[in-house]
Amino acid sequence: MKVSFPYMGCVTGYKKVFETLGHEVVMPQKPTQKTIDLGVKYSPEFICFPFKVIMGTYIEAVQAGANVIVASGGNGPCRAGLYGEIHQKILKSMGHDVKFIVFDSMFRDFGLFYDNLKKIKNKIPIIKVLKNLWLSYQIICRMDEIEKEIKVLRAYEQKRGDFNRVWLEIQRMYDGCWTQKDIDKVTEQARKMLQEVPLKKVEEEEKIRIGIVGEIYVIMESSTNMDIEQTLNSMGIEVESVQYISDWVKHNIQPNFIGGSKSHQVIHKAKRFVKMNLGGHDMENIGWMVDFKERGFDAVVHLMPFGCLPELITQSAIPTISQELDLPILSLSLDEQNGTANNRTRIEAFVDLVRNKKRGGSVQKKEVKEPEYTDKVPEELAG
Amino acid sequence: MRIGLPRALLYHYYYPLWKSLFEQLGVEIVISDITSKQLVQEGVKVTVPEICLPIKIFNGHIINLLSKEVDYIFIPRFIGVESGKWFCPKFIGLPELADYTIDGVKSKILTVDIQGKKESTCEWTNYRPLCEALQVTPKELKKALKTAERVWQHFRDCCKQGFTIEEAEKMCSEDMRGSERTAHHTHDITLGVLGYVYNVYDPFVSMDIIKKLHGMNVRVITFEMLDEKRIHEKFKRKSKNLYWTFTDKIYGAAVELMENHQIDGLIHITAFGCGPDSIVGKMMELDSEKFKKPFMTIRVDEHTGESHLLTRIEAFVDMIKRQKISERRRELA
Repeated sequence: MKVSFPYMGCVTGYKKVFETLGHEVVMPQKPTQKTIDLGVKYSPEFICFPFKVIMGTYIEAVQAGANVIVASGGNGPCRAGLYGEIHQKILKSMGHDVKFIVFDSMFRDFGLFYDNLKKIKNKIPIIKVLKNLWLSYQIICRMDEIEKEIKVLRAYEQKRGDFNRVWLEIQRMYDGCWTQKDIDKVTEQARKMLQEVPLKKVEEEEKIRIGIVGEIYVIMESSTNMDIEQTLNSMGIEVESVQYISDWVKHNIQPNFIGGSKSHQVIHKAKRFVKMNLGGHDMENIGWMVDFKERGFDAVVHLMPFGCLPELITQSAIPTISQELDLPILSLSLDEQNGTANNRTRIEAFVDLVRNKKRGGSVQKKEVKEPEYTDKVPEELAG
Repeated sequence: MRIGLPRALLYHYYYPLWKSLFEQLGVEIVISDITSKQLVQEGVKVTVPEICLPIKIFNGHIINLLSKEVDYIFIPRFIGVESGKWFCPKFIGLPELADYTIDGVKSKILTVDIQGKKESTCEWTNYRPLCEALQVTPKELKKALKTAERVWQHFRDCCKQGFTIEEAEKMCSEDMRGSERTAHHTHDITLGVLGYVYNVYDPFVSMDIIKKLHGMNVRVITFEMLDEKRIHEKFKRKSKNLYWTFTDKIYGAAVELMENHQIDGLIHITAFGCGPDSIVGKMMELDSEKFKKPFMTIRVDEHTGESHLLTRIEAFVDMIKRQKISERRRELA
């Protein structure tokens, strides 16, 4: 079996899973403009942006020789739960015969879950499979932790690009881990490497922190969000994003009754704004906005793919939330029409506003009179 | 007490039920105006730009109701009416969406959570919040729900005899028997018109497509005319289903109609930015190739011009009619 999977977050970890199970892995490539164009060409027009990017990734993987694709499923009401089925249908209509293994929640249909597990476990005893999964999970957790740190430190690097170089090196190091011992050793080494990067000295009150919330795929995949984290870092701003694969796994396997993961806890903070979750990470995101405010962050950037069903409700609520929390929130909706200049201008203006607010410059509120709409069609022409 | 019902979204499907329910509870119902360009513009002004058209129209209707001096506006939160199925997230967040986008509506929202296993929504736990708001006893509410359910069931039976929702509503309110009217006009061809009730039956969105088709001597079949059991879960594969109730119905209806040799073609009406339709539209498109049925998608937004729509429908109908004539000639020869 030549296995491939969506390019999302910490791919080194997934690669490890399949390699330890003895499969050949066709490594999906980081999405480029070509990937996106390819995906857009074969996807339904109004489907969400992540679908199109993943479609492009799959097509490239299949062209590179993959014949099995492993993906995660879902049970609604967000569209992401049907990705696997539609991707498969489209690939089939293109003439590619690819097997899809879609993992849905094991609590919903354990039989199917077990069948899928049997398909990929390659006659390796279940204990060993679990051990391998744990190893990969450890790698993902450690890498996510380091990435989190980098997003803070990168704001103060003296020479632009230092941290990115270090990060690439660290990724390569983790790729060569096969035992727990390796992981510990590499982690230690990685931390040392991070400490060695020269930093600028910035006063505590000058530091600006921005939280990133939103839809999981566009947050994680920098090529779909115009590298917003890097952009903000290069303006000297610390960034914390809320979506990591390790957190997602924790959220899904750690039962609620033993405390639950952090993302379970923040959901309670959203209760004053919305009543229930709509199937995506929408309620969690509102919770994170409250959480960021409580932790003294200066602003929040909300990312969503164009037309994302659950996040549209969040977007509708953002003006109210922003006002009630006294927290600047910028909502960016992303799709294949990536007008980089437009978004960059918006981000820069937003950052200026945040800086000004932090320095105590008051934003004077003026009563803005809504302009009269003049595009009304005269009665006799309207018919 | 006056309760406003927005003439949008699932109003078209559940109106007979809500009408009967509220009338029995001694409440005056105020329905918003029929969708017009002006009303849509009002909605567009306040709503986030990239949301789907039906939600913009819905907000327009709420603004319209606010000017009609109502005590409450009924905005139910549709979560699910079948086990394992949901509504589109926008339906689940509808009360919040209205609250956050329209000024001054918060105190007027009357909401109930519709979550159960009955399509009629008439489980009394769903409507319990009405007791407090309308000051009725649970007993009265239960009784009213029972009658309302019967009325709605009658309305659905009328639909299933082949009447459009408008005709069925009229029949219910005038208490006519199905046999007194005939649903089957004379027709040259039969087309399936697939789309949610709030798209097909909203005169602004669909521009009265059904009447236009009737005028062209076309028999129209919509999803609500088909029996639920037959269109149920055509997508089903092990534990995964098409998990939006009405989307599943549309897709089921599409497959059912494509398999049916008496149906000559299908028209899918969808609104700009509809999430579930982006998926089901593609599936129908792929299936129509398999079944070799003519298939057309009409996507409407707040700018659609009527003449362009008419041209497209006419061309589609003409094409099918001609194909049919040439087929018949070939058979004769």
